[in-house]
Amino acid sequence: MIRASLFALAMTLAAPALADDPITPAPTAKDWLELAHRPDWSGSWFPVISDQFAQVASNPPPWKPEVQKQIDHWDAEEKAGRPRGLLLDCLPHGVPSFYLITHNSIEILSTPGRVTILGESDGNRLVRIWTDGRKPPADPDPSFHGYNIGVWQGDTLAVSTTAILPQTWLAVSEAVGIAIGEGAHVEQKFHLIGPDTLAVDLTISAPAVLTRPWQTRRLFTRKRARSYEIVEGVCRQGDFEETTDPWGNPAWRPVAQSADGNVVAPAK
Amino acid sequence: MLKKIMSTGALAAALALSAPSLAHHSFAMFDQTKVVNLRGTISAYRWVNPHVSLFVDVQDGPIKHGVWAVELTSPGNLTRLGWSRQSLKVGDKVDVEVNPLRDGALGGGFRKATILSTGQVLQARLVEIEKPGG
Repeated sequence: MIRASLFALAMTLAAPALADDPITPAPTAKDWLELAHRPDWSGSWFPVISDQFAQVASNPPPWKPEVQKQIDHWDAEEKAGRPRGLLLDCLPHGVPSFYLITHNSIEILSTPGRVTILGESDGNRLVRIWTDGRKPPADPDPSFHGYNIGVWQGDTLAVSTTAILPQTWLAVSEAVGIAIGEGAHVEQKFHLIGPDTLAVDLTISAPAVLTRPWQTRRLFTRKRARSYEIVEGVCRQGDFEETTDPWGNPAWRPVAQSADGNVVAPAK
Repeated sequence: MLKKIMSTGALAAALALSAPSLAHHSFAMFDQTKVVNLRGTISAYRWVNPHVSLFVDVQDGPIKHGVWAVELTSPGNLTRLGWSRQSLKVGDKVDVEVNPLRDGALGGGFRKATILSTGQVLQARLVEIEKPGG
């Protein structure tokens, strides 16, 4: 017993202290009350999918010429029925494709110091937008959704996203896109343009693949019916089917799939 | 025996871990310019992310006979269109309209289903749910 206590004490003493690890203070009553003055973004927000395609058709990304050739190739492949499965690996859409091409609802949560966006597909994504006045870390770990700093400008939430993994897709469909590359920066302005219509105005700077920042808008419509509440969306669940293990416990086994990701019916 | 069971389990686990993840995909492999009507019997109905699927055993009509694999959108989106995991049952006699796979394999993208015993029609058009309201 004593030996265990001494070991725990030694581990505590040995744990390195982070030199610069700011403490996020507990929210005050005033912080909670401030939320009441923010625009009401409750409910679930379903993407206007038909407008996603219309936006790309009328205002395509300003691809660099060498990138345009790749895009044209993947576009032709999709039109020929050989879609490149950007999402087959079930890795996240990431920012900005999370807004550009999603086919599933999102939910926006406001709490003191942060706005949190929950996604339904694929794998119930989470985007954390810090609104507590912080600056981005000097050297943040790159991630699919980047480091998001938000500032309220009246009823608009202006978000700056940096530290995006260069492999993250800058996609115009589930089959056409290009890795966003190094040095990407995505600005988003979230604001209501109608009682139940949320606009996300994006300015996407991707110097590796675009000739200039691409400004584009995505729309989401508010739903309050319970059927629209976001549900679990485990991307790889479809790769498996129910079975029992040798001991009779419920278990999973892989299903047959084609290279395109389609399930394959058993031959009779 | 236990050793054999363990090794079988380990093999299954290894296969599962090494299996490529082939889940979420574009629907461009389905020929949107063609419509095929499958009259047959539901032999499987999988209510899973990211694509619900059903198998239709077709033994009549002018199309290729066999079990067709039909893919739909996600359970969440189908719920918003009035579906549930009980909407179809194994053994249901159905007419299912699909856009067929371009490569000629027995599969398609879902357009519409009619349950023959009740006449109930099931649709899955996402454009129906992107309008404000609801």
